[in-house]
Amino acid sequence: MTAFLGTVGVGIGLVGAIGGAVTLVMALSFRRREHHLRVFWWVGAMTAGCVLAVLAMEIGLLRDDFSMQYVAANSTRATPWLYKVATLWGALEGSLLLWALVLSGYVAAVTASFRRRIEDRLVAWALLTMLAVCVFFFGLLAGPADPFGTLLVAPPDGDGLNPLLRNHPLMAIHPVMLYLGYVGFTVPFGFAVAALITGRLGEGWLVTTRVWTLIAWGSLTVGILLGAWWSYEVLGWGGYWAWDPVENASLLPWLTGTAFLHSVIVQERRGMLRVWNLSLLLATFALTIFGTFLTRSGVIDSVHEFSASSLGPLLLGLFAAILVLSVALVGWRGDQLRSPGSIDSPVSREGAFLANNLLFTLFAFVILLGTVFPLIVEAINNDQLAVGRPYFDRMLLPLGVALLLVMGVAPLLTWRSTSGQLLGTRALGPAALGALTMAAAVWLGAEGLGPVLGIGLGGFVIGSAVRHLALTARRQGWRAATGRSGGGMVAHIGVSLLAFGFIASTSFSEEGEFQLRPGEVGSVAGHQIRFVQLTDEMDGPNRVVRAQIEVEGRGFYAPAITQYPTFGRPIATPSVATSLVDDVYLSLVAIPEENSDVVVVRVLVEPLVGWIWVGGFVIAAGTVLAILPGRRNSHSEMEDIFA
Amino acid sequence: MKIRLWLSWLCVVTVALGSLLVAAIAEDPPATEAERAYEIKATILCPICDGQNVLESNAPVAAAIRAQVDELVEQGRSDEEIRAWMARQYGADVNAIPPRTGVASLVWMVPVFVAVVSVGALVFAFVRWRAGRELEVSEEDLRIARALREKN
Repeated sequence: MTAFLGTVGVGIGLVGAIGGAVTLVMALSFRRREHHLRVFWWVGAMTAGCVLAVLAMEIGLLRDDFSMQYVAANSTRATPWLYKVATLWGALEGSLLLWALVLSGYVAAVTASFRRRIEDRLVAWALLTMLAVCVFFFGLLAGPADPFGTLLVAPPDGDGLNPLLRNHPLMAIHPVMLYLGYVGFTVPFGFAVAALITGRLGEGWLVTTRVWTLIAWGSLTVGILLGAWWSYEVLGWGGYWAWDPVENASLLPWLTGTAFLHSVIVQERRGMLRVWNLSLLLATFALTIFGTFLTRSGVIDSVHEFSASSLGPLLLGLFAAILVLSVALVGWRGDQLRSPGSIDSPVSREGAFLANNLLFTLFAFVILLGTVFPLIVEAINNDQLAVGRPYFDRMLLPLGVALLLVMGVAPLLTWRSTSGQLLGTRALGPAALGALTMAAAVWLGAEGLGPVLGIGLGGFVIGSAVRHLALTARRQGWRAATGRSGGGMVAHIGVSLLAFGFIASTSFSEEGEFQLRPGEVGSVAGHQIRFVQLTDEMDGPNRVVRAQIEVEGRGFYAPAITQYPTFGRPIATPSVATSLVDDVYLSLVAIPEENSDVVVVRVLVEPLVGWIWVGGFVIAAGTVLAILPGRRNSHSEMEDIFA
Repeated sequence: MKIRLWLSWLCVVTVALGSLLVAAIAEDPPATEAERAYEIKATILCPICDGQNVLESNAPVAAAIRAQVDELVEQGRSDEEIRAWMARQYGADVNAIPPRTGVASLVWMVPVFVAVVSVGALVFAFVRWRAGRELEVSEEDLRIARALREKN
């Protein structure tokens, strides 16, 4: 019965999406008001259908309805309710259902917020594009990835999720944020396509979609960082980023999206870079689909492979369709996209934005190449090879350093051109902060040219962002931190904090592995850890071994290792003694032998790793501030005009 | 005023370069065998886990590889020899660093090539923009501008 409700919901969603699309085609052909107005009903029906389907799935999960195939395969009676709810996005079909829900939500929100402009051809084409994407995803749910398959005989209990997916509450938020980001780029994509089709290629559509792009970008940023945090808290190896193909796939649209957020300022201000901005936006959406293809098709080995499937060809088809449509549209409108104006000097704000774009695109290119390269080589001569972390570290380090430099310099530059003298005066304070940061880092024991340079540039970026905010604050008070430039500067500070955490934790971490009896002590990087005692319990069918460990000056921690009967190797649950200075990361290496009280514990001391999460929070705050309307004619802009 | 600016910059640059110098000197190449073994292990992937290197993985095979690396380092084998040995034993895809020979070397070269070409394209665009701007202002334009200014 519940499954039936779900199927009905998906059906209503599909019909709503198709109906909406057909109505819009008619509205655009016959230009009749009543056709346009009917879109509200179709979009409403689609969204309601999707909500019904999601509710049906959640009810099935919460009520342990194992006659539903999805519930039987991915949930158990013993699963806590939070993870039952989160099981919706724990496997392929459910995660597509979540995708459809987020997409319907966005389409409904766009329809509602543009209700007064519903007859505008730009809005109509944008909605049509988004509804076409909806048709695709509801189509998947209605056929190849039906989440509501039923079993003739309901098993007494289900199989349950991969245990890695049900031992941390972040699992309940990370995928949702990620999808809010991925799917959110459908909105600017729709408007970009609409602008190309209607030929209204001025700056209007950009202003229209600004907030939507920021929401999508902010959610994607937070989603990616929550994923990193989850991996740090759960996977037990003490890292948060492995250049895993799926991580790379989520970073690709983020990079092109970030490039877009910056270069769009040049277009709004100077009317330039139109083709480039459209291409970035189209590429961003295409890359979200490409990322989904990588995650869902199983073409590449990855820790995220738990939801691999045969949807590969369909998603690849959609990706190809988007690519062809984009190239064709940009080619068709090529003449109209030629923008007036030119950039006078490389040493100018717009010059810095160009440098930013070049670096972000190269960054994305290296990641894309490194990710798909093993596939290419295998196709060419059947060789198996891996492109791992050392490759990405080595290739991306210079780009990252250059990005930090540009990030620090750009806010100091004026539009059109900046004289050396002016730059020299403005850059002095931030550069001094950068130099002091470096000196402080070296004094605290940092070594190595790359890491210390990166830390110094981080200080420089903070100096230049704070300078910008402080100058604006003289006129505007706290509102200096709102609007695009204010929020942007706050986000820059967040990126610097994140960079500090990333650099320090990757370059200066220390580790040790100890075999300890109760009462024995190990020491890493000045931290004494003392093994107190072992507990060995059954939690339902699972064997949980927990070691109580005292970290000197931080208190007691209890890393555990669990043997699930339904899952081969034991899963370690690390425990982290966090502080703003460093994290002491404890994880058990193996289940202790029977009748033995010796534990093997791996201890990692990672300096400043907590700053990554703090930085992420600051970036998110900056995004929210950027969405708030700022004052036009801010101090810095006046300054630019008279400089 | 100008002198003060120059002097301030001199201080800033001295502090920055000094710190970088100290940082560069303080970093020593892997000296002990244990350090060298550690660096090699960080570039060998665990063959059965996805994306984790043998340092990070708890899998038995990762532990075995760690022990083998220690042994080979003790025997005095070079980094390259050890990597080649691992590739023969467990397959080329345990090496996290793609080789610099054959088709695989493209993964190193293509990004550099693309970077050079795109920087070149940007420079070319600036040159053209500059040339275009010079063309835009003709004598005729200047005459009209002057006439307008006099009128006002």
